[in-house]
Amino acid sequence: MSKVVEISPTTRHEGHSKLVLKVNDEGIIETGNWCSITPVRGVEKLAIGKTMEQVPKIASRVCGICPIAHTLAGIESMEASVKCEIPKDAKLLRVVLQCANRLHSHALHNILTLPDMYLPGTDTKINPFTQEEPVRSVAKRIQRLREIGQTIGEIAGGEAVHPSNPRVGGMFRPCSQQAKVKMLDLAKEGLVLAHAQMDFMIAVLRNFQKRDWAEVGGAKIAIPKNLGYHDQGYLATHPIYGSTSMDENPTWDYSRFKESRPWDWYMGEMEVSLEDPKYPVGGTTKMGTKVNPQMEACTGIPCYDGAPVEVGPRARLVKFSNFNEKGTIGQQIARQLEYPASLTSIISALDEYNPAGKVIADYIPQGDGSMGWAANEAPRGTDVHLARVKDGRVLWYNMLVPTTWNFATCSKALEGAPWQLAEIVVRGYDPCVSCATHMIVIDEDKRLVAQKLIQ
Amino acid sequence: MGAELGIYKSCVSARSTDKEILKASQDGGIVTQLFGFALDEGIIEGAIVAVSKDFYKKYPEKCMACYADDTKEPFRPIPAIITTKAELMESRGTKYNISPNVSLIKEATRSFGLDKVGIVGTPCQMQAIRKGQLYPIGLRDVGDKIALAVGIFCMENFPYQSILQLVEDHAAMSMDSVRKMEIGKGKFWVYGKRGQVVQLPLKVTHKYEQPGCHVCLDYVANLGDISTGSVGSPDGWSTVFVRSKIGDSVWGKAMAAGCFETQPIEKVKPGLELVSKLANEKISKNKKTLEERATFGVGKALRNPYI
Repeated sequence: MSKVVEISPTTRHEGHSKLVLKVNDEGIIETGNWCSITPVRGVEKLAIGKTMEQVPKIASRVCGICPIAHTLAGIESMEASVKCEIPKDAKLLRVVLQCANRLHSHALHNILTLPDMYLPGTDTKINPFTQEEPVRSVAKRIQRLREIGQTIGEIAGGEAVHPSNPRVGGMFRPCSQQAKVKMLDLAKEGLVLAHAQMDFMIAVLRNFQKRDWAEVGGAKIAIPKNLGYHDQGYLATHPIYGSTSMDENPTWDYSRFKESRPWDWYMGEMEVSLEDPKYPVGGTTKMGTKVNPQMEACTGIPCYDGAPVEVGPRARLVKFSNFNEKGTIGQQIARQLEYPASLTSIISALDEYNPAGKVIADYIPQGDGSMGWAANEAPRGTDVHLARVKDGRVLWYNMLVPTTWNFATCSKALEGAPWQLAEIVVRGYDPCVSCATHMIVIDEDKRLVAQKLIQ
Repeated sequence: MGAELGIYKSCVSARSTDKEILKASQDGGIVTQLFGFALDEGIIEGAIVAVSKDFYKKYPEKCMACYADDTKEPFRPIPAIITTKAELMESRGTKYNISPNVSLIKEATRSFGLDKVGIVGTPCQMQAIRKGQLYPIGLRDVGDKIALAVGIFCMENFPYQSILQLVEDHAAMSMDSVRKMEIGKGKFWVYGKRGQVVQLPLKVTHKYEQPGCHVCLDYVANLGDISTGSVGSPDGWSTVFVRSKIGDSVWGKAMAAGCFETQPIEKVKPGLELVSKLANEKISKNKKTLEERATFGVGKALRNPYI
């Protein structure tokens, strides 16, 4: 007889989401529903009628962790729609910006995921905020890596968080020789730290893989060897940067994409029949509570070739580097492997960058309403923005963000895991939920069902 | 009143010892000499100054020009970042209309990669800089990179169109032929390149002032590290207030290096008395505007910025 357990909200990731899990008598998940309960952002509607300069700036405000990815994808979708080629030096600055964002985001995720892991050789969970060594110096290294990423992003992009320098047609201002040298210095310092950080993280993750149990809420939970395995495909457009509809060989295909609605995908109304007051933090939802993932979820379910796919670091490595490890730990290891590449890419882009070069296109067309898309490999995966621009105004805009792709895939990956470890699987995807949210569920009378969330 | 000169550690009348600087400087060449010294000593890596179109022609990548026309008009100040002595020398002299220098402060620390920035500006721009250091909205990571802020005395400022009107219509000169403009001895002076000199009574210029200036209660740049202006000193000299710790240390080093010759402010004519008089005039005149503004607008919306 299967039971229903709900973990709401899930913790240590960006945004608000919850897990509704149907589990068997042993507590193993039979059906997992991971749904976003973040209030709807409405950027797609806000964008209509705005100028193509404004929209990417508005779009970047959906999140504070990968606004760089949203800005770049937004701007490039406008450029793809109006068919504007940008100068080489502008492109190089964007690559620098992209990698800086990836560096700081991956470092941040280390802080979020470490409390699930154990110090190798001990049964002590890692507390990244402790004063004690060796964790203290790791935490400091993470902070320095984040600082380096943000500072490089600020120099190349204008602001550390929401970049102001990129614009349709290139960049507003070039970086001087002195700024270029400053970024190079930072990247070279970061590269040494990133190697050390990668080695540490992989050691910790491999140690978790070898363990038989993990402690959750005071109980020892057996770790299955196939934690987080799934049979879905992978989607990635580029090892570092991305692709647009203007490319000679675009690596994403609009015609293979289809989005279905949450009520076609998630479970219907149920009642919580299992609870654990000891589960961190504050226990799971009380027995008898009504849950309805179909109506509460506010993401779309994007499918590529008719099925959900995984995007993110592992997808990139599988597609472009023959990486073949599965499961949550494999995914985390893929993320760590991206550390050095993000810095070496900054260094090689800067070596090529000419501070005296042009960073803005001579002529920026205003668009004829044709559809353009740009896929950007955000830290969490493929971030596709689609736009139609006519006479400089946006007619239609859509954002397909990484975690939207991952919601359905991760729900599949939950199957077969003990429900207490479900959050660890979710965290492996480094979810960034707030930008993934873009659907309001309305009932037959067009009344808003998730009214409470919006208030 | 008593507080009209702000807080300061020392006050002297000074001029640069560098003849080259004095050739094209407004008065005593204080700002140019200070920035030149700070650049040489590594106190600053670059400075934000107001330049003219000739500078823009040579170094367009160092300027912040919003509109193409700005770069063609004579005496239109263009904010720019200078990092060498040669560039600094090109920027000498006052332009007597609005130069949005603060707009470059973020760029200086970002795309120019400077960690120590000098900036020169009017009292209101000094206020903006200090406010930005306290509340860094849009100025993240900028505050600690401001290494030297030099304020200049300011009674009021003019929009570019006003200067155009004053020079071309009232003074009946072409902007292109103007060598220098100056306000002093109760008059607005325009010096031509061919030697002609026109003086306009300040009564004429009043209506061309920027209305926003009429709420300002700061004449001597109270918030600069160092503030300077011609008032109070003889021709070719400037009055210098050294205000902050940073200002004191830079000024001390510059004096030790022999950058300036000075006279005690008590010994020169017209002296601090005139500075105080003008400062009080500005403050009492503008307080009236503030009081008037408190009584108009929907819901008396224009608040006194000093309360």
